Amino acid sequence: MPRVFITGLGFITSIGNDASAVSESLRTLRHGVALFEPFQKDDVPVKVAAPVRDFRLEGVDPEDWTYPSRYTIRREVIRSMAPNGVYAWCAAQQAIEDAGLSEADISNPDTGLYAASGGSPFMLGYLLNRLNTHGVMRCSPLGIVASIAGTLNFNLVAHLRIKGSSCGFSSACASSSHALGYAYDDIVLGRQKRMIVVGAEDCNRESILPFAGMRALSLQKDPNRASRPFDAARDGFVGTGGAAVLILESEDEVARRGTKVYCELVGWGQASDGHNVAISHPEGAGLSGAMVKALRATKMEPGEVSYINAHATSTPIGDLSEARAIKTIFSPSGASPAVSSTKALTGHGLSLAGAMETGFCALAIKEGFTPGSANITTLDPACDGISILRETLPTGPTVAFNNSSGFGGANVCLVLRKA
Amino acid sequence: MPDAVNASSPVSDTSKFVLKPFTPEDEAALRESLRRCAPSSFEAAVQFRRTGNPEHVPAVVIGVIERFVEPDLRSKLKDADDDLRLIEDLGIDSLTMMEIVILVEDVLQMSINNDELRNLRTVGDVKTFIDCKIRGLAVPKPTRFIPIEVIAAVMPMQPPFLFINEASVSSTAANGRYRITGQEFFLQGHFKDNPVMPASIMLEALGQLAVLYLLEGHPAEAGKVINPATIYFTGCEGVRAHRVCRPGDLLSLSIKPKRSKMPLATFEGSIRVGQEKAVMVEEITLTFALMDAPTPPLAPPAPAPEPTTPEPAKAPAPDGSPKTPDA
Repeated sequence: MPRVFITGLGFITSIGNDASAVSESLRTLRHGVALFEPFQKDDVPVKVAAPVRDFRLEGVDPEDWTYPSRYTIRREVIRSMAPNGVYAWCAAQQAIEDAGLSEADISNPDTGLYAASGGSPFMLGYLLNRLNTHGVMRCSPLGIVASIAGTLNFNLVAHLRIKGSSCGFSSACASSSHALGYAYDDIVLGRQKRMIVVGAEDCNRESILPFAGMRALSLQKDPNRASRPFDAARDGFVGTGGAAVLILESEDEVARRGTKVYCELVGWGQASDGHNVAISHPEGAGLSGAMVKALRATKMEPGEVSYINAHATSTPIGDLSEARAIKTIFSPSGASPAVSSTKALTGHGLSLAGAMETGFCALAIKEGFTPGSANITTLDPACDGISILRETLPTGPTVAFNNSSGFGGANVCLVLRKA
Repeated sequence: MPDAVNASSPVSDTSKFVLKPFTPEDEAALRESLRRCAPSSFEAAVQFRRTGNPEHVPAVVIGVIERFVEPDLRSKLKDADDDLRLIEDLGIDSLTMMEIVILVEDVLQMSINNDELRNLRTVGDVKTFIDCKIRGLAVPKPTRFIPIEVIAAVMPMQPPFLFINEASVSSTAANGRYRITGQEFFLQGHFKDNPVMPASIMLEALGQLAVLYLLEGHPAEAGKVINPATIYFTGCEGVRAHRVCRPGDLLSLSIKPKRSKMPLATFEGSIRVGQEKAVMVEEITLTFALMDAPTPPLAPPAPAPEPTTPEPAKAPAPDGSPKTPDA
């Protein structure tokens, strides 16, 4: 079976806008949470978010948006984008450069792109409002492709001139992990030699605050304490946005190009809770099922796993489910991989989360560190028996799991191994 | 614009521009809508909204088009004539065309249907179209590109005495091209060992383009068409030859109607080779007569019928393939 490697990374995140800044934040546990200006109103009980620095994507007109000067985006490209598309465009430039890919390497029948975003509620809201107030024929002709759930893949696939596989994934917070899993399959099945995988989300009032209604967001006013997965006093997640882009390539392509690799993507598993539309299974049934499938697919024993980047978003129910799922898989054999949730630093990036955190694992494996789980004052007693990593370790994992769980009870476990 | 256009164009009440009061709020909204356009476009739009005077419309339309053209192509628009092509010359695709239309609709307070956009090919087409909409006139036939087979099929002249290879015809102008091959029979004797295109033949070529205009672009009365067998040359004024034209030269021919009143139509014309003037003609006058339009059973194959189902506005992509938004 052909092997698959991660050869390029790009990040636009709340903890850094390139791989070196992200790596530094992960090592020093520097978080990106802040009081978020759009929330500082009396009728908004949520006060914090983890914004992306150096991007101002606030109005509805993309030509008003500003972004770091190292990137240029032509009007004909940016005009059909939502904010998540701009983040992703910039992260993709990084990843492509990092992997040393030429235009010909990207635009050919053997290179595809899978992407995941929740669309842009902000742009969709504007479009529908204009439709209602100005009339059906007075809406931007590109309003749809700039707003609906596929906006990210529409834009990137077209503007990067992708000619291989392309698809958008929509399993909420598991979306970009699903994208990575199916991108891996495409390479293993010989359908593609190279896949670009993108996760991205807007970071604004409209992308984050709808989660307040389901009481999923932290109401903490202190940015240093808001996102604290596995802490006994956790009270919800902190919203974030941005983009992460990974380049996956077959071992033949890695050998042909003589390119560096971060790590191997060994395989993956997925399973569903069959339980509730928005609440994770109390015993983490789907997530433990995903981990079982991942072990089976990679022919590994639980004792070989050295690190788990948990999905744990800092919600009371979700973190507990994941803790129970991890115990179910690892405790019987006495295995005790280090576990941390980097969402304590980044906040929860929804569709972005899986790709971003797989990128973190790739950095950790390549550079030799294991990121800690920040902001824990009192560890939730439910985590007894799990090696929650409170500080960053100066050694990297040899095998890492990256867990993701999404609405509807979708769960994905990706397996990375030191190359 | 020829008188015949106005005389024969039915006024459509439903599309006629109606002047509404122009409030300070309207002006603020207008300024916001046009904030990426040249200040002159905003001023023209204000004048138009206050007075309803269509003279201000071209400045608004050109300003809006300019705003949507990539900066490196905008210089083309600065000293453009009406033949500048939206797709080929300005890189405007069908979606950008819709962006232009939506802004024009917003600024000029008018509505434009998808069907009406489909054939707008040049800057002149757009200006004429908007002008007619505002005046409540029927929109004239937009510029059509006519290939050699069609030219030969409709023209009374035939090879070896046909001097147009390709042409485009609108209601306001016709443009054509002719490449001097060196195989023209008359070049054997004009002149001895020195083939030069006769100025009289170049005048003939302009006359032929005017004939093509009468047959394909001239607005005729309802139920009538121009009888090709009745078109003849009657006279010309102010003919000047500026440049010797030889085999290999590509002649760019252009005529514009100046006056038209049955049974005469008068045109101005020019021939250029590249940017160089070759022949200028102040007036060429043709005579013509009308006949009843053929009844349907006897009609020659009609141009492609209008689609009966609504569909998104289409303009060919630069590569020539149709480009529509995919659902």
